[in-house]
Amino acid sequence: MTTKNQKTLIVGITVAIIFVILGVFCFSYAMETLDVKAEELGAQEQPVYEPPLPDYVIPGMDNEGGALLLGVTSTLLLFVVGFGVAKILGKKKS
Amino acid sequence: MHIPDGFLTLSVIIPTFIITIVFWAISIKKVKLSEQQIPMMGLLTALFFAAMMMNYPIIGGTTAHLLGGAAIGLILGPFAGCISVSIILVLQAFLFGDGGLTALGANVLNMGVIGVFVPCIIFLVANKALKIKTTTALFATIFISAFFGDLLAAISAGTELGLSTPLFGYGLSVAVPAMAINHSIIGVAEGIVTVILIGTLFKLRPDVLEKSPILGKLAMLKDKVTGSA
Repeated sequence: MTTKNQKTLIVGITVAIIFVILGVFCFSYAMETLDVKAEELGAQEQPVYEPPLPDYVIPGMDNEGGALLLGVTSTLLLFVVGFGVAKILGKKKS
Repeated sequence: MHIPDGFLTLSVIIPTFIITIVFWAISIKKVKLSEQQIPMMGLLTALFFAAMMMNYPIIGGTTAHLLGGAAIGLILGPFAGCISVSIILVLQAFLFGDGGLTALGANVLNMGVIGVFVPCIIFLVANKALKIKTTTALFATIFISAFFGDLLAAISAGTELGLSTPLFGYGLSVAVPAMAINHSIIGVAEGIVTVILIGTLFKLRPDVLEKSPILGKLAMLKDKVTGSA
């Protein structure tokens, strides 16, 4: 990988982590239009699956520290998965 | 904009899954990624996952988040963009329960297909018609493309919910305008963020944009890359 690409990745991941910090500490309250309309109707979610980390919370760590840890870890995981998939798809064509 | 389990009827779930699977198959078959784009796909996938964690207050006490489809699609192309946004949505559903599994087809259709392909198509048509030559025209076109990507994704979500009566009691006449009006505000934010991101790459890494099947068609970008080489 070129130095230019490495620099871009470092800056980009840093910005992503800043987004996570802002998401955890400043913009964490979520009440989407869909939620409001569902509430008005009394419509209930009917999950068909129990996710391991429901609502972005580590079980037993329902605080901002846990949310930050989960947010940063997940962002890095998404980078690895995105990079890995891109690498496989890139190879397929070469 | 993530639709949970229990809000969509089978008559909406099945067609949305079929359309999504068709787009996944086409995207995997057609995607082309250069050496520079491979790490960029990882980066943009992570960046917009993180961006989706920020919920902006909009109107009436509601919030909304960025989709990222416009930026990813314009930078990497619609096929890589569709795959990248799908990775985010699949992991959000399976790890965090953000978006239902039965609604995964609808969520990918809204955010990963419409949210990605619409901005790319608008940009290509505008560039063909206007032959974009100035940065002002470029940024205006990017803004409009991103805005309409979000707006149409929201209208699509509203349509799916509106067609899912009685599970989601509001019909099309309530669900579509509610989603469209509120999400048009986040569409403005999506437009601004997309312009900032692509504007920064245009200035600092035009070589990355040159490889884009969408932005790479800009004559002014080719001139910039040739000029800086």
